[in-house]
Amino acid sequence: MFLSLAPGKETKAKALLRMSNNPSSAPDLQAAALPPDQWVDQYGDYLYRYAHSRLRDANAAEEVLQETFLAGIRHVDQYAGRGSQRGWLLGILKRKIIDHVRLRAKHAQARSYEDEPDPTLHLFDAQGNWKKDAFRWSPQPDEQIQEVEFRQILQSCLDELPETQRTVFQRSVMDEKDSEEICKELNITPSNLWVRMHRARLGLAKCVETKWLKEKESLGHAE
Amino acid sequence: MLNDRKASELVTKSMRRALTDEETGLLAQNLTDSKELEAFAKISHKIQISAVEIASLVEQGDRTLGPGLSDEAKDRLRGLIQAAQSGEIDLPELEPGQTQAQENSLKRTTQLPAAGGPFWSRRMVAEQPGAYQGEGDARVGESRYTLIRPLGKGGLGNVWLARDERLKRNVAIKELNAETLASEVSWQRFRREAEITGLLEHPSIVPLYQYGLDKNTGEPFYAMRFVGKRTLADAIIEHHEKIRAGELDDAHLGLHRLLNIFLDICQAIAYAHSRGVMHRDLKPENVALDNFGQVIVLDWGLAKLSEDGELIHHLSRESNLADKALAQTVDGEVVGTPLYMAPEQASGDLDHIDERTDVYGLGGILFSILTGCAPHESSGEGARTNLKEVLKVIAESRSPEPSDYAENVPRQLESICIKSMAFKSHLRYERVSQLSDAVELWLAGQSEKKSRYEDLRMAGRELRADLQSTIRDLETNARFMSRLPPIQELITAEVEQDVAVWRERLTTIYTGLLTAKSDYQTISYCRIEAGLCTEIVRVERHSTDHSNIRPVPRSRLRQIKTNSFLETVIQQKPEEVLTSLVCDNDSEPEENCFGDEAVHLVAAVPVYDQNTEEPYGVVLIDCDIDRVMRRQVSQHATTCEIVIACDIHQVMMRSHFGHVVEDSISKRVEEETPHFCQAVSALEHHLEFIDETNAEIYGARLWLTTSRHGVMYLLRSERNKNRA
Repeated sequence: MFLSLAPGKETKAKALLRMSNNPSSAPDLQAAALPPDQWVDQYGDYLYRYAHSRLRDANAAEEVLQETFLAGIRHVDQYAGRGSQRGWLLGILKRKIIDHVRLRAKHAQARSYEDEPDPTLHLFDAQGNWKKDAFRWSPQPDEQIQEVEFRQILQSCLDELPETQRTVFQRSVMDEKDSEEICKELNITPSNLWVRMHRARLGLAKCVETKWLKEKESLGHAE
Repeated sequence: MLNDRKASELVTKSMRRALTDEETGLLAQNLTDSKELEAFAKISHKIQISAVEIASLVEQGDRTLGPGLSDEAKDRLRGLIQAAQSGEIDLPELEPGQTQAQENSLKRTTQLPAAGGPFWSRRMVAEQPGAYQGEGDARVGESRYTLIRPLGKGGLGNVWLARDERLKRNVAIKELNAETLASEVSWQRFRREAEITGLLEHPSIVPLYQYGLDKNTGEPFYAMRFVGKRTLADAIIEHHEKIRAGELDDAHLGLHRLLNIFLDICQAIAYAHSRGVMHRDLKPENVALDNFGQVIVLDWGLAKLSEDGELIHHLSRESNLADKALAQTVDGEVVGTPLYMAPEQASGDLDHIDERTDVYGLGGILFSILTGCAPHESSGEGARTNLKEVLKVIAESRSPEPSDYAENVPRQLESICIKSMAFKSHLRYERVSQLSDAVELWLAGQSEKKSRYEDLRMAGRELRADLQSTIRDLETNARFMSRLPPIQELITAEVEQDVAVWRERLTTIYTGLLTAKSDYQTISYCRIEAGLCTEIVRVERHSTDHSNIRPVPRSRLRQIKTNSFLETVIQQKPEEVLTSLVCDNDSEPEENCFGDEAVHLVAAVPVYDQNTEEPYGVVLIDCDIDRVMRRQVSQHATTCEIVIACDIHQVMMRSHFGHVVEDSISKRVEEETPHFCQAVSALEHHLEFIDETNAEIYGARLWLTTSRHGVMYLLRSERNKNRA
């Protein structure tokens, strides 16, 4: 079960998901090297959704997209046509996102992680024991979890997570980066990363649980 | 057995498959015993799966995970791409993969040409909830600012013109620039600057509306009153351009305006000092001028708070930077331009920085007003391009003096400037108010002085007009005396009896003229023939008994050789009068003239024989110019020093308070009164000399009719005579 979910297997799982969820969703864009004035219409939404999923901020997503397009125009001759142009731009976008995250992380260094919102304060008592009803999540074996619904809840909880915690969660889980790389990117120590990651998981778990239960409750009332 | 908190940490650790065997056992045991831990583990697992799924779907282009770009955003991006392709904005020079800081720095420079366009005009700044609002500012919530265009760029941050959408007014927004964003000290300095500015409430200190963190970027900003782009530096440049263009009246007014601005700056700094704040970065660029005469001191980012001042207790913990940290950037360089820096700042002697450091800065601004240059502009000349070397020069060399950089600097203002910028701080004005008092006193004195100078100019012009009138009268009389009937009768009279009659008649008329005109010394009618001048009739005033007027008997009439003046006169047409200064020896005042001899003003007119129509002789009237001048100085020049000199700079008369200085006659102006040299030099080519710089000296010149000689009047206000 969850104990066996390691980075290597995550990659495999992601590949399987890619194939099973939408086998025909990746258009063959390899040969289509579009001129820049068509990028917005062809790739704009795709790249924007990617940026937004990582930055959780519309303005920031638009800004890195702007930078991506400018860099793309500047280096358009470096696109050799070996992969899709969309993939090439996505590669630039990913680097822009990392740069953006890195810069924001630098600003956040003025504050130590002790100052960040700490969900453990709400979940544990002074002795380190669970507070009452800290977690009540217990889906029944026959309960059908709606994946789309869950993803929506998770995304809204990612939005609510403090940026420093969200960043390490995304880089670790969604981008599958190892700890050393994340520490280097964000210029933080492994112990700092670990504390942030743990808080992110606790915060996300509590948020998702609360929203999930609330939704079930409202559905129950509706029925 | 672990407590629940430790056990939850193992759950997190398990997600990265980082558990040891022992930890795996411990976790399994805790999972059995704790429903909360089990719930946390299950939900975390589900989150892990779902997060990976989201990442995968996004990369595949799934459209259910969120909206795409808005139409507006697409328009902006299209506009950006179009602008980039058409070269309207520069593209980043660095390779993809560059750091954000580098890219940001490019972005900041490239956005300027596109400012105001569809791309940047919509950039918004929104405060983060709970951000610092500034003391006494109860406004909270969703105030938003739309950046319109960049106004300026400083060492610490950029300033934008922005629109406060809530209050529908323009404001200035200051934000950290790309270079400083990465520095923690810069953030602290920025916040400190905002807090200090907010705590200083003075008409000449920019009012701060709000400090906050941008909701989207988390970067700090503060909003303040928009006071326009024009700074004192611009005003100083314009003033000195006018001076260079020779627009002296405007320049004179301009200096007064700049000094009034300077006094406003002094007031603001004196107020800040009273609250324990030293600005430490005073320069014309940090003084904004609005269109309505408001003077605003900006940029308090380097301000130092006095330990015993009241404001130091009002700063937040983050802003209470150590002075050393404040004065240094992360790269270890001294902050601020060295052009106006006091020696103690340049040497890094932070312990000795006090109010007199600002007095030096104010002196630097005054220096700039007077010269158009920054005090240490030349400190970076030659090989000293390195900042450290420039600072070393400032820290070790004597302070510059305005007259080293510009001409015609008012002496008293220069003294004030030099005292303000004394190398040793204890020699400067102790307080800013003393400096402003000195400048204010000078301005007040200028007003009085200007009024006094107007009187001086009026006196000088009256003196010249009076002499002009005397000469015109003299010439009219000379012309009239040459037209009298006895003149021609004496030419044609053949018998002695007739000659005697006509001589008597002419003598009677001449005596009447001398009686009427007390300044006239002699009047004579002479025949010019064969190089000799033979007197026919002569009436003269007694040399000591002024009221004694006597006809000269025939036996005492003179026959002298004609001089160049008489030869010129006889060559003139009828009734053409020549007036000149003549010495006792009847020569003109050339190099061989003047010693102890008196000078006369002589008007001469040629006489023609009406029968032959040939030149016959001359009528001469000798006016006692010494008497004329004495009367003039006693009437017009009682409050000034006056020197009357002839063309060859020979002093003809000198007086103080209306009293003639007798021993100055026959000396040259340069020897007797060197302070008039500039005026004498100017009068070589001009009819008037006006002392624009110090308003102390006035000069006027009178050209004598049809003569190449003239008279100079030089006046100096007596009140300033000892200040040369």
